[in-house]
Amino acid sequence: MTTEAYLQRAGEILAPFAKGTNNPESNRLDVQIAASDLPAAASALTDASWGYLAAITGMDHGAEANELEALYHFCEGSAVTTLRVRLPRVDCPEIPSVSGMIPVASFFERELGEMLGVTVVDTPDASRLFLPDDWPDRVYPLRQGFKPEQAASIQPNKTPEPSKAGNKFIVPIGPQHPALKEPGHFEFTVDGEIITGARMRLGYVHRGIEKATEERNWIQNLYLLERICGICSHTHTSAYSQGVEKLAQVEVPHRALAIRELVAGLERIHSHLLWLGVVAHEAGFDTLFMYSWRDRETVMNLLEELTGNRVNYSICVLGGVKHDIVAEHSASIHKALDFLEERIRYYLDIVTSDTTFLQRTRGVGTMTHAEAIRFGALGPTARASGVTRDIRLDAPYGAYKRFPVSLITDERGDLEARFVVRMKELLVTCFTIRTIVDNMPSGEIAVRFPRKIPAGETVSRVEAPRGEAFYYIKSGGGESPLRLHIRTPSLCNWTSVINKAVGHQLADAPMLIAGMDPCFSCNDRMVTVRRKDDMKTLSWSELREYGIKKYGQKK
Amino acid sequence: MKIGSMLKDVLISFFSAPITEKYPFERPETADRFRGKLFYDPAKCTGCNLCSKDCPAKALEIVVIDRAAKRFVARYDMDKCVYCAQCIQSCKFKCIGMSNEDWELAALTKELFTVTYGKEEDIARLLEGNALPNAEPIKAG
Repeated sequence: MTTEAYLQRAGEILAPFAKGTNNPESNRLDVQIAASDLPAAASALTDASWGYLAAITGMDHGAEANELEALYHFCEGSAVTTLRVRLPRVDCPEIPSVSGMIPVASFFERELGEMLGVTVVDTPDASRLFLPDDWPDRVYPLRQGFKPEQAASIQPNKTPEPSKAGNKFIVPIGPQHPALKEPGHFEFTVDGEIITGARMRLGYVHRGIEKATEERNWIQNLYLLERICGICSHTHTSAYSQGVEKLAQVEVPHRALAIRELVAGLERIHSHLLWLGVVAHEAGFDTLFMYSWRDRETVMNLLEELTGNRVNYSICVLGGVKHDIVAEHSASIHKALDFLEERIRYYLDIVTSDTTFLQRTRGVGTMTHAEAIRFGALGPTARASGVTRDIRLDAPYGAYKRFPVSLITDERGDLEARFVVRMKELLVTCFTIRTIVDNMPSGEIAVRFPRKIPAGETVSRVEAPRGEAFYYIKSGGGESPLRLHIRTPSLCNWTSVINKAVGHQLADAPMLIAGMDPCFSCNDRMVTVRRKDDMKTLSWSELREYGIKKYGQKK
Repeated sequence: MKIGSMLKDVLISFFSAPITEKYPFERPETADRFRGKLFYDPAKCTGCNLCSKDCPAKALEIVVIDRAAKRFVARYDMDKCVYCAQCIQSCKFKCIGMSNEDWELAALTKELFTVTYGKEEDIARLLEGNALPNAEPIKAG
C-alpha cells in the first residue's frame, strides 16, 4: 500500500472518533480526539493491524493557551497518524491508559505522568521510570514554568521505603552494570532459580536533554543530541538534522545524504561488533569478546579518518555534512571492509557452531512473531522474530532510496537468531557501503542553512543500530525548538525483555538484557537533581568502617 | 557443533606481535581531520562572534578591543570544549582551526585549561580588567 492509502485507511478507521482532522505533511495525518475516546480509537487501530504505537509525546502549550496535549504517534510504513488529545492545564488531568492493548505504552505513560503531571488512569505501573524516587510531588519538569536551574534548589521528598516483596523473593540486579557498563535497575521475582516476574527502573543517567534543547539554538542542539549516546551518536544527529531540514524546507545535496548513510553504516558495524563482544562476555566467552573488540578498532580508526573522531563524529551539520569523502578514503574504506567482512563471516560461523556458546543462546528468550508485534519490539530484536520492520526500507530517508539495504530476518526469535540477524546485517551493510563509495553522487556537501526555522512540527524517524529512533520536533519560528521529543529503540525493546524473562533461569537474565542491545543513555534523558543539603563526604577508611558496621562483618 | 572454536585464533595471536599501542612511549599518529586544541588567528577575524554564539559548550568567546585595527582577544576553555568543530563551520573567515597534533591536553590545574589568543598587550590589559574605552563588553556565548 502507498502512504496515501495507509493514511486514508487510518482516516476511515478513526472517523467515528475524530473531532477534527488535518494533514500537516504529506505523510502525516492528525486526528483530534476526546480523551474518553482514546482507548477505543487506539484499539480500533490495533484491531485493524494499522501500524504500531511509536511514541507518546506530551506537550505543555503554556499558561496562555492553558492546555496540555498528548500526541499518540502510530506509524505504518512512512505514514504517521497522530491522535491528538487536548487536556486542561490543571495539576493532574486524567487520560485513560492504552497499555491494555499496547503493552509498550506503559513506559510512555509513565514518562507522560512524571514529566507533565498527567494522571494516566488504569496504567499498570504508575511508579517513576526516569525521575528520582525523592523528586517532590507536583513538580513536573517538562511543564513550561519549570526552569532547569530550579532543580538544584528543590526540596527532596523523603526517599520512599523499598517495595515490600510480601512472601516473594526478589533479586535486585543493578543499578550498577546489570549487563553492560551502564546503570539500570531490575527486580526479578524468583521461585528458586526460575524468574516469575520482572520490574525495571531507569533514570540513572538522566541528563535533562529534552528540556535543555529548549534553551539552546538549533545548531547547539545538534551537538547536545549527539551526546545522548556514544554508540549511536550519528543516529541522533542525522534524525535531528533531517527533521530540522524538513521544517526549514532546505534541500540537502545528494552527496551529503550519501555520506550520512555511509557513516551510519560504519556506525552500525562498530555498534554490532561492540554488542557481539558484550554479549559474548556475559556468556563467559571472553575470547570472542576480546577478538571482536580488537577487530572493531578497524572501523573505529576508519571513522576517525573520515570524520575526525572515534565517537561523536560530528559529521552532520544542518544542511549537509562537514567533510567530504575523497579518493584516498575510498581505498582505505575498501581495505578495512575486506578485513571486516572476513571477520564477520568468521564470527557468524562461531556464534552458530560453538557448542558451549549455543547452550547459552539457542532456544533462550524465544519471542514469537506475534509476541514481537504485541510488545512493540524494534530493530534486530524484532527482525530476529521475523518482523519485517526496518525504517530504512519502510520509510526510506536520506540516501536509502538511492542506496537501499536488504532486509535480514530470522524466524526463530531466540538469542541465537539475534546474533545471526545482526551479523548478516553487517555483511549487507558492508556491501551497501562499498556501493556508496563506488557510486558517490557528485556535487556540494552542504548548503546554507537559516538560523531561524519557520513555525511548524515534524516527525523524523531513522533506523538506529538498535531499531527505530523517533524524533518529534516543534518549532515556534524562533532560534530554538519549542519542544523536542525523542523515543529511542531501547525503550520499546524493554517490554519484550521484561515479559520474556518470566520462566527463565535467573542466570539467563544478564544474557536476556544484553541480548536486545540495550542503551541506557539513550533512554534516560530528562532531569538530574543535585542535592545540596544531605551530601556527605566520607574518606576511604570512614567508608570502610561504615560498610563494616552496616553489614556487621568482622575486620 | 564444535568445542574450542576460536583456538586457532588464539594460537595465531600467541605468536604474533601485540596489537596494543605502546602509548605514551610511542605516540600514535592521528588522522588529518582529528579535532584537537583550537587555534585562532585574529588577523582574519571580524569579531562577528558567530563562533561563540553557536558553541554548544560556551567554550569560546571573542572580545573585540578595536574592530578597525583587528585587535581581538579570544578566550578558549579547553575543559569546556567538546571538540565538535562547529566554530570552524560557523566562521566565514577561516580564522579558527583545530590541531591534529596538539591533543595531549591533560593538566593538573583548571587555570591551565583557559587559553587566550591575541596581542600580548591586549590580553594583559583584559586580564587586568582595564579594557580600552571603546572595547565592546564581553558577551557570554
